[in-house]
Amino acid sequence: MKTVRLRHHLARLGRLAAVLLLLIWSLGPIYWSLVTSLTAPTDMLTTTPHFWPPHLTLEHYGKLFGSSSLSQGNEVQSVWPQFSAALINSIITSGAATLVTVVMAAFGAYAFVRLRFPGRDLIFALVVATMAVPAYTVMIPLYRLMISIGLIDTYLGVTLIYVSAFLPLALWLMRSVYRSLPISLEEAAWLDGAGRTYTLVRIVLPLAAPGLIASAILTFLSAWGQFMVPLVFSPSLATKPLTVLIPEFVTRNYVDYGLMNAAGIIAIIPPVLLVMFLNRYLVRGLMAGAGK
Amino acid sequence: MISRSDTTRPPGTGIDAWLGLGFAIPIIVIMGGLVFVPLGSTLWDSLFRIDPMRMGTPFVGLQNYLASLTDPAVRQAWYNTGIYVLLAVVLETLGGLGAALLLSQVKYGRQWLLAALVLPWCLPPVVNAIVWLWIYNPSYGLLNGILTSTGLIAENVVWFNNRAAALFLVTLVHVWRMMPLTAIILLAALQSIPQDLYEAAKLDGAGPLKSFRMITLPLISGGLAIALSQSTVFALNLFDEAWVLAGASLDTRTAIIQVYMSAFQNLHFSQGMALSVVIMIASLIVSAIYVLRVYRETSFD
Repeated sequence: MKTVRLRHHLARLGRLAAVLLLLIWSLGPIYWSLVTSLTAPTDMLTTTPHFWPPHLTLEHYGKLFGSSSLSQGNEVQSVWPQFSAALINSIITSGAATLVTVVMAAFGAYAFVRLRFPGRDLIFALVVATMAVPAYTVMIPLYRLMISIGLIDTYLGVTLIYVSAFLPLALWLMRSVYRSLPISLEEAAWLDGAGRTYTLVRIVLPLAAPGLIASAILTFLSAWGQFMVPLVFSPSLATKPLTVLIPEFVTRNYVDYGLMNAAGIIAIIPPVLLVMFLNRYLVRGLMAGAGK
Repeated sequence: MISRSDTTRPPGTGIDAWLGLGFAIPIIVIMGGLVFVPLGSTLWDSLFRIDPMRMGTPFVGLQNYLASLTDPAVRQAWYNTGIYVLLAVVLETLGGLGAALLLSQVKYGRQWLLAALVLPWCLPPVVNAIVWLWIYNPSYGLLNGILTSTGLIAENVVWFNNRAAALFLVTLVHVWRMMPLTAIILLAALQSIPQDLYEAAKLDGAGPLKSFRMITLPLISGGLAIALSQSTVFALNLFDEAWVLAGASLDTRTAIIQVYMSAFQNLHFSQGMALSVVIMIASLIVSAIYVLRVYRETSFD
């Protein structure tokens, strides 16, 4: 009896250690980045790591948000003009791509599940198959196309490319959501004389809300983190997002890690908030998206 | 089974086809114009020599494809990509399975643990790479700091001077981001296993290892196939992490970085296209295996 209890305790201890390990692995690097962003530059240049800044400073954030700042004793231009432009660009392109993708997926997936039209299944299969097409396979002709219609470095151009890249997953997800909804509710509405579109908007969409939220989160996260597309299609600050701007801090003759980590921390705030408050939808979306 | 649309007739069934087409047309236009037309154009152009630096665009057949077989930079990039795929798939699958098994046993604070697990996957890959770039910093990085203060290494190491270390460290950043996806897929599979199977196995005297081998593994094989193909395709298309950590360096250059270099840096458009087509075919084959697998799984119920 005693050995059984002992084994039970050991198993619990093992699980606890594993949970701790998982937390350190997942959150450790982010915590380290946060600490770095709050550490004074002179304290960063030590060989012994300290897990809390010896002198807490907002200096690096000052460089991002201030009009000018001190760097090694000299007053320097802050990066606020570039940083704010890139932040706004990230918000606009990700927001627009999310809105357009979710609306198109909400109506499109319904058509692919409940409405019969010629070529329906073939079109769906082809669209979903594009998830396996690497961005760069279409990038070169797309680049020439965007130049010829004048959409390089415009919100419209970048948003359209994002939609074409993230729509397949949203469609796939919404189709599985609609398929799991019982058709009897729609039939009841039809009996009452409601039309197709009315039924979809007033009855089906509210029921599919968790799926819509999941699609919106997945699309937003993909667009927010996108790097390859804007690297080619957003050459100037007119549309350049944070993901392209932040690595450019490296290419100067001296790498400002404090600044880069502070900028990175700002850039991860939206994803962190989504995970903290809407993780339920996100995880269910991922499970459904990968499964059926 | 009777097809559903025959059992009830929604109002105006005749116009259903038109409504469906109406909903689908924006999708057809966007996907056609921005994916399929460029894709066709890439396939076609990869058979010509398109190079802004050289006159004319003669038909060269498969020469762009063959040239990439002999180009040492391309071969190096494929070799690196092979290592990334192998390492990433093994690490993500083992780590993801471990995390999924752990999560399925945790009772308290489970949703917070799940949130912590998923977080790296949600962050911009570029920011992840920058965070790790600082950790790998040769003079003041956390990695050297921890290893020297615990006495595992005598002095600081410039990690990216060593090719094997560089490949491993790039993979590690990728694994940090992608492991959550594997874990979530496997967790979904684990949750679908009926608990009474384990009770029955226990009554039959099976230990935890045996019931893992006899019950868990066979029943999550569908999820495992999906997770494996996902991690393979993502590792095949690795770009962001390698680019931010080591730029165009040949030591860590991936196949996709090679496409970017050929097309947008050296302006050999058609060579870049040919290479990207090969990567696409590889991704499609891996995904097809997965789709067929899922189709087989679901067509029996």
